[in-house]
Amino acid sequence: MQHELLAGQPDDRCIWMGGPVPRGELADLVDAHQRLLESSGLRPGGTAALNLPPSLAYIATLLAAWRIGAQVSLLDHRLVPHEVDKALERLAPQVVVTAESATSSPMAGYARAAAHAAARSEGRPAATPHVLIQLSSGSTGPSKVIARTAADLIDELGRYAKLSEYPGSGERIVLLASIVHVLGLVGGLLHCLHAGTELVYPERLTADGIRAAVTASTEPTMVLGVPFHAELLITGGHPLPQLTRMVVAGELTRPWLPGAFRDRYGVPLGSMYGMTELGVIATDLSGQHAPAVAPAPGMSLRVADGELLVKMAASPYVGIVDETRWVDGWLRTKDAATMDPATGLVRILGRLDSQISIGGLKVDLTEVEQTLCALPEVESGVVAYDTEIEAYLVLQPGSTVSDVKSALAEQLAPYKRPRQIHVLESMPRTTTGKITRSRAALRAAASASPAAPS
Amino acid sequence: MTRYPPEPPGREEVVTILAKLGDRTPDDVTEQIGSLEVAWLISEVEQQYHVTLELSDETLAQMVTISGAVATLADLLSGVPDG
Repeated sequence: MQHELLAGQPDDRCIWMGGPVPRGELADLVDAHQRLLESSGLRPGGTAALNLPPSLAYIATLLAAWRIGAQVSLLDHRLVPHEVDKALERLAPQVVVTAESATSSPMAGYARAAAHAAARSEGRPAATPHVLIQLSSGSTGPSKVIARTAADLIDELGRYAKLSEYPGSGERIVLLASIVHVLGLVGGLLHCLHAGTELVYPERLTADGIRAAVTASTEPTMVLGVPFHAELLITGGHPLPQLTRMVVAGELTRPWLPGAFRDRYGVPLGSMYGMTELGVIATDLSGQHAPAVAPAPGMSLRVADGELLVKMAASPYVGIVDETRWVDGWLRTKDAATMDPATGLVRILGRLDSQISIGGLKVDLTEVEQTLCALPEVESGVVAYDTEIEAYLVLQPGSTVSDVKSALAEQLAPYKRPRQIHVLESMPRTTTGKITRSRAALRAAASASPAAPS
Repeated sequence: MTRYPPEPPGREEVVTILAKLGDRTPDDVTEQIGSLEVAWLISEVEQQYHVTLELSDETLAQMVTISGAVATLADLLSGVPDG
């Protein structure tokens, strides 16, 4: 896979990140990062964890580690040190790559970073033949370790190649989704390298910044992001003649958005459905089936008891495994769905567990609640989500909301933290004595409770 | 560079901008602002004022409430040259 991804003319522009990055330059960067990783002791069959912001250093390190023949774990750079430590303990990589110096403004589309590789004596070599490891929050128990083989990634690239509306050679993708996650990684980075499509990073993740990235060149251009980015783009600005379509994934699209996008730009807002475990599963790149999606080439789907199942030859999980998630060759998605028996089109309705999506970033409310309730400042609590994450809790005597916020900031990445914290005198309970999750009861208890120390 | 509207947005204007995200009414907008809302607000203000706001992590950290956002935008926009 590695050789194919870097193949091509050295002068071909493959990435735009503040300027053109020809394939030859990327290949040189991969060589340099291979030497960096090897000097840290990474060998074929070894393990490395990447904890870098989206940057050329990230891309070069990932490709270098794969060329060495190592198994690579991707850690979201937005995780706080406590979460990174937990992940490293779980994954036991032999080498950890972090950003030695990174410059990035908060609204930047990418970072300028130098990679720093550190050996971990307690790290272990790869126990499985997988090349990619990602962590996903489990609704119960520890987070799942999701593993993918090179063959599986090549299969996914094959699916993208068969999608005739997906950009190919001579076209561009403006990437707004993170390359730490599967959409940006495979649908953006790896597809572009594989298909000869230019991968374009906007300077800024604002409406003006995204439009500037689209208009910077004359080639046909697709924008790939999450629904929030589409909402940003329809708020103003000028026509974009290069824009062929925008495709969003990661969370459900508001029903009015595809029509508003087409009205604004005269091109479709398509959507994709996928999972970390499998990558792209179903698509509607032209918005013709909205809100339904059609199975991607080669994917078999069915709905059982209201849940979408996807055919998958082997379990994608390693380590501690929830044995109910992959059964007899079918992966349970935990997404509620309906399927039209006549057309095979699938409509995703939402999650069946406690996972939510904040701008495409997955958050497991159970993880947030368990973290909250384990704080010494909290006697008991419940985390709820309607349009934002909210916590309802009873404080330990002498504790304040500010104490709770400070403690959460040390343990949870910003996008996982409750936006609202409601302090209650006591948790409302059901008639059987269980703490209730009824929003009405929680809100009533919050209204009835006197103001707590902030 | 032309600045329009000429004055930095006040509380009411900030709430109106935030309410557009997710098709909410101003009453649905809470004092606490999430990261997506901040990104939305910055993008909208940049479009309306035809400016690029220079932001640091520290500046962004001051924009987690509506009051903080109003004050921060006033500071940022007062430093933008007219004309």
